[in-house]
Amino acid sequence: MVQQPSIYCILPPHLLREIAQRGTPLQRERALQTIQAAEQVRARRRLARELAGLMAAVPGGGKQRFVYDAREGTTLPGALIRKEGDPPVSDAAVNEAYDGSGVTYDLFYEAYGRNSLDNNGLDLKSTVHYEKGYDNAFWDGQQMVYGDGDEDLPASERLFNRFTIALDIIGHELTHGVTQFEANLAYWDQAGALNESFSDVYGSLVKQYQRRQTAQQADWIIGEGLLTANVKGVGLRSMKQPGSAYDDPILGKDPQPGHMKDYVTTVEDNGGVHINSGIPNRAFYVTAMEIGGFAWEKTGLIWYKTLTNKLTDRSTFQEAANLTFEAAGELFGKNSLEQNAVKTGWAEVGITIGSQAPTGCLTSLLAYLGLTTQARGQSK
Amino acid sequence: MKRILFERTGGLTGRKVSLDLDLDQLPPDQARTLSLLLEQADFFNLPADLVPPSARDAFIYTLTLEAEMQVHTIRFGDTTAPNALRPLLEDLSQRARARRV
Repeated sequence: MVQQPSIYCILPPHLLREIAQRGTPLQRERALQTIQAAEQVRARRRLARELAGLMAAVPGGGKQRFVYDAREGTTLPGALIRKEGDPPVSDAAVNEAYDGSGVTYDLFYEAYGRNSLDNNGLDLKSTVHYEKGYDNAFWDGQQMVYGDGDEDLPASERLFNRFTIALDIIGHELTHGVTQFEANLAYWDQAGALNESFSDVYGSLVKQYQRRQTAQQADWIIGEGLLTANVKGVGLRSMKQPGSAYDDPILGKDPQPGHMKDYVTTVEDNGGVHINSGIPNRAFYVTAMEIGGFAWEKTGLIWYKTLTNKLTDRSTFQEAANLTFEAAGELFGKNSLEQNAVKTGWAEVGITIGSQAPTGCLTSLLAYLGLTTQARGQSK
Repeated sequence: MKRILFERTGGLTGRKVSLDLDLDQLPPDQARTLSLLLEQADFFNLPADLVPPSARDAFIYTLTLEAEMQVHTIRFGDTTAPNALRPLLEDLSQRARARRV
């Protein structure tokens, strides 16, 4: 990216033009350089906007992508196939990982001024073709990893396509990185479900941003295209109607609740982190619909401020509700349309702003057994 | 009698898949292959808890072997699976996904 001379940050363009015409020779030269640099930056931003829809690789503020191939093995990161600025290759999974991490970077950079996962230009590393028949994608604490689904099974038995096929899944995995560097939400009970929900929120927003869709136009489905034609379903999760994404003889029924009265108490999946995330997911959806327009602009900003400035590793749904409400007040004013929308969003899922925070299933169980979550965290 | 209990939880979908294999009930060649893979992994000497702390959306595997008065259970994640166990893991994962048993 072109470095803007510092003078550009202070002086408005009309003043620069004045200096370019009337200053001393040195001032004129500097002013002209600055005008040219600023014009280059503007041109690049114009280009970036134009190409965003095509998921093009546009240099941003420190965007550095590296895509590796595990060649069906499990050694990470694997062989480097494509790095920042390289042209597309013949492997679709490589290009999807490259483009998808690019759009995710762009959303966080353009909408929230964030420079990569750590806000310090961290390299975005992705490995594709992980293991054989690996029907999953994950963030290992340092990089993204994607499997090819059920490619090793006969076509009639396959449930999952390759995991890079869905842009929101890529956004989901990268957001786990953002969360790790910010609130660092724990990965069990409500904190874990919030961790998952933030990944779904920004995964969905990456897709909406790339498609330039308003909250009303978006489908709010996570993992569209991931399920094969053998499965009765539209994706992995629905933020709009949690529990409605699939209902299939093999895969079962989407288990997500969309309201606190249906909160699932389980010890599996770290206390149901991928299940109960349906509740905060729907709160975000309702808030975004109440506010209207592009959801990444206002609703995404409220949630971003909450994730980066307010939540802590053991936060609960109730705390997230209270703190998103607080963030909306700080950003848009007390009793603003936006702040009231946040209140409505959480009310729709059975959470009243300002109430006492209940504890989660595992937390209660462990406390009952005399084992604190602190002890559990240390044992992991 | 040799019995393998395999469970995979977590992952991006949060969906559990599991297997309960009685090796005596399997076709002899399959039972031989699985026994060999367990032997190569030195299963009874693998550490019990290998769950990675910072992975998100990774699978968590629980594998139990019951054989000749011995029972051993181990838990591990995608990034912490012992290399010697990988071939067995691939075999069991495929069986569980394909529901061939």
